[in-house]
Amino acid sequence: MIDQAPALIVVIPLLAALFITVIGVYKPRLSWILTVLTFVITSIFTIITLKQVVVIGPVYYMFGNWPAPFGIEFVIDHLNALIIAMISIVALLVAIYSKHDVKKELGDKIPHFYSLFTLLVTGLLGITMTGDAFNLYVLLEVSALTSYALLALSKGRAYIATFNYLIMGTIGACFYLLGVGYLLINTGSLNMADIATIINANTYSYAVLAAFLFIMIGMWTKMALFPLHGWLPNVYTYAPTSTSCLLAPLMTKVSVYVMLRMMTSVFNYDYIFNVLQWQQVIVALAVLAILAGSILAFRQDNLKRMLTYLIVAEIGYMVGGAWLGNVNGFTGASYHIIADGFMTLCLFLAIGCIIYKIGDSSLASMKGIFKKMPLTMVGFLIGAFSMIGIPPTCGFFSKWYLLSGAYEAGAWPFFVALLVSSLVNAILFFRIIEVGYFHALPEEEPNHNHPKHKRDEAPLSMIIPLLTTAGLLIGIGIYTADIVTYLIRPFINTFL
Amino acid sequence: MIIGFDVICLCLILLCAILALYIKDLMGAVIVFGAYSFLMCIVWACNAAIDVAFTEAAVGAGVGTVFLVSTVYSTTRVDSFKKNRFITQLLMFFVVCIVGSLLLLTVTDLPEWGDGNAPANAHLSSYYLENSIDDTHVPNVVTSVLADYRGFDTMLETCVVFIAFIAIFAILRVRKSRTNNDETSKIFELLVPSYQKVDSVIIKTASHLMIPFMQLFALYVVAHGHYSPGGGFQGGVILGASLILLAISYDFKKSLNYLSEKKVILLVALGVLIYAGIGVICLFLGGNFLDYSVLSKILPATDSIMARSHAMLGVEIGVALTVMVSMYGIYLCLSSNGRFDKGL
Repeated sequence: MIDQAPALIVVIPLLAALFITVIGVYKPRLSWILTVLTFVITSIFTIITLKQVVVIGPVYYMFGNWPAPFGIEFVIDHLNALIIAMISIVALLVAIYSKHDVKKELGDKIPHFYSLFTLLVTGLLGITMTGDAFNLYVLLEVSALTSYALLALSKGRAYIATFNYLIMGTIGACFYLLGVGYLLINTGSLNMADIATIINANTYSYAVLAAFLFIMIGMWTKMALFPLHGWLPNVYTYAPTSTSCLLAPLMTKVSVYVMLRMMTSVFNYDYIFNVLQWQQVIVALAVLAILAGSILAFRQDNLKRMLTYLIVAEIGYMVGGAWLGNVNGFTGASYHIIADGFMTLCLFLAIGCIIYKIGDSSLASMKGIFKKMPLTMVGFLIGAFSMIGIPPTCGFFSKWYLLSGAYEAGAWPFFVALLVSSLVNAILFFRIIEVGYFHALPEEEPNHNHPKHKRDEAPLSMIIPLLTTAGLLIGIGIYTADIVTYLIRPFINTFL
Repeated sequence: MIIGFDVICLCLILLCAILALYIKDLMGAVIVFGAYSFLMCIVWACNAAIDVAFTEAAVGAGVGTVFLVSTVYSTTRVDSFKKNRFITQLLMFFVVCIVGSLLLLTVTDLPEWGDGNAPANAHLSSYYLENSIDDTHVPNVVTSVLADYRGFDTMLETCVVFIAFIAIFAILRVRKSRTNNDETSKIFELLVPSYQKVDSVIIKTASHLMIPFMQLFALYVVAHGHYSPGGGFQGGVILGASLILLAISYDFKKSLNYLSEKKVILLVALGVLIYAGIGVICLFLGGNFLDYSVLSKILPATDSIMARSHAMLGVEIGVALTVMVSMYGIYLCLSSNGRFDKGL
């Protein structure tokens, strides 16, 4: 059973999605528990695989038992073992969290929501594990289509925002496909490892350059790197709460992962950093992304919208880190995929709780929130500290690696941008603390005599995932050294 | 490939593409777009990609046009798109120029048309061509690559069709009990034009005659995919088109009598389930996922190679089922605005 784990990680959620659709026709209530069960099993399998990778090394799985370049292959090495574990745990937490929220926001569309939800995670897990460039595109399509549908399940302005996302996402996917097409013309193969050996044996032609450029542009569009970020804030702001909790931590990070995978396993280090030498330009773009994201976040008075701009800034962290081209930069970027996934999840879950109870997430309605929802705000604060980069949360360590990478590469603008972004985050979150802690609840100012009436927490099924995520942020921070030595360094050693 | 013919085709395609963007009447644009798809289909056929041409004809020119027509009917016919500002236009022009020049730059690196030594023809393709019969007993290499060598991709593509249906259904479906006697339902009635039921004997009789033959042909396409161009996707689309024709020529009630909303959802899921289920059976028999050869243990009188061929037929049937019902279901959602009462 264990050697079938890579297939099962994808197949179990896929089958579950079908069953949820079928059972949803008769018993829509069962879909939530089915989804949670699915992700419990998937998480167990991903963790088993992670352990196996640490102990034995990369795991290969051949679909249909066809050997690698002829059939489709899943390759799970040290980097993506970590990321599939993150994806399945995030999916599990959001699935538990979504119970009350979905009932409130979506009504009779619950089974469809959960079947799309599981399929989205299937797609993301597949993207992360596959070792085949075209299979990656198909899985990209699966995850993209489901995400458009999930986002459009909301009402009002969500339609227009989703339509913009649909256009941008499709353009991104087209660019990626065009790049894969060029790779196929050049090499005749679609398997990543096979492509890598063939490309590196030849001299680099314009067609290889075009392939690389198109794949990178496609992924930058998908991950919303600064000048291409336009679709992201509206989409995540107007989406249903549970959808944005699932998409915000995962979609952009998986695109970053694909970029890392393409840079390291298909095109090699020498080609990107010594032949092309674009690192200056891309790091400059990343600096712009960080600064623009931070400045735009500063101007928002809606918490959810503010967070969406912070995502834009965080993307700059990872792209910049990867393009520094040194060990610390790659470590920071890889580690930040995990750290940022859980950080974003934590903050979105907290904001979801607030929206569930208060109805909106504007800064003005945060008055007295600490007294009203203390547990939610504990989770929020830990997420915020991680975003700012306060030890022992994991946000501190990723920033540390990125800063030392920037220092070694002499990329001073990136170094400064990271510090400025931390400062901006600190100001942003302390502004919320000020409003939430020191300003009293508006209706309670006349009488302070009923402290018990003030507490009004979100349901337990929402609080538990939030606090678990907050715990994970600290846990990952404490085990940083282990994660880096056993998982990220072995991955970097394969190409550097 | 005949150079002169190809050049004419490509010029016409370009013309159609520009026209489809330029025409302000959306119905006209849709028709031009259908013509574009047909021309694309000819280009594929000229390049000896018969399976792709078949799919393009069935999906792009056939069902795709019907979807667009029903969308235009239930929304608006007039293109009221705001003109972009000059700066935006200039920016777009530059982006297009850069991408275009990059594409032109690579032309010199591309291999000659039909060059046997080009990497795309020499590396993996030659393996498939030489070994497909020995490995799978399937003479149509496209089918063996699609359903066996890269069967996992095809399963996910079927999944994409399933997602498309579930997505459209989840977004558009409106329950009657909810909107009945409601303000929104009245506004809905005002906004959405209701259609006069046209009882045309000619249309009914003509489609009555056509539908059985369409379905028979579709079944042939599905079943004969091993030996000739075709397979689950193409056959499924033709089957779906026959159901759509039924819904158009008669009314919703008659077609919903054959396939109700509930059945549509169940059958769409069942199609993918057949495909994934065959893969899971392989797992239980001790092989890898989608390793059809182990099915010889349960299929009577088949060796491991013939088992691959049989299993391919099984997965093609799953694909056909999902595609057929999705096409029909998407049409129902689009043309009735998700109300499932009356449509085109």
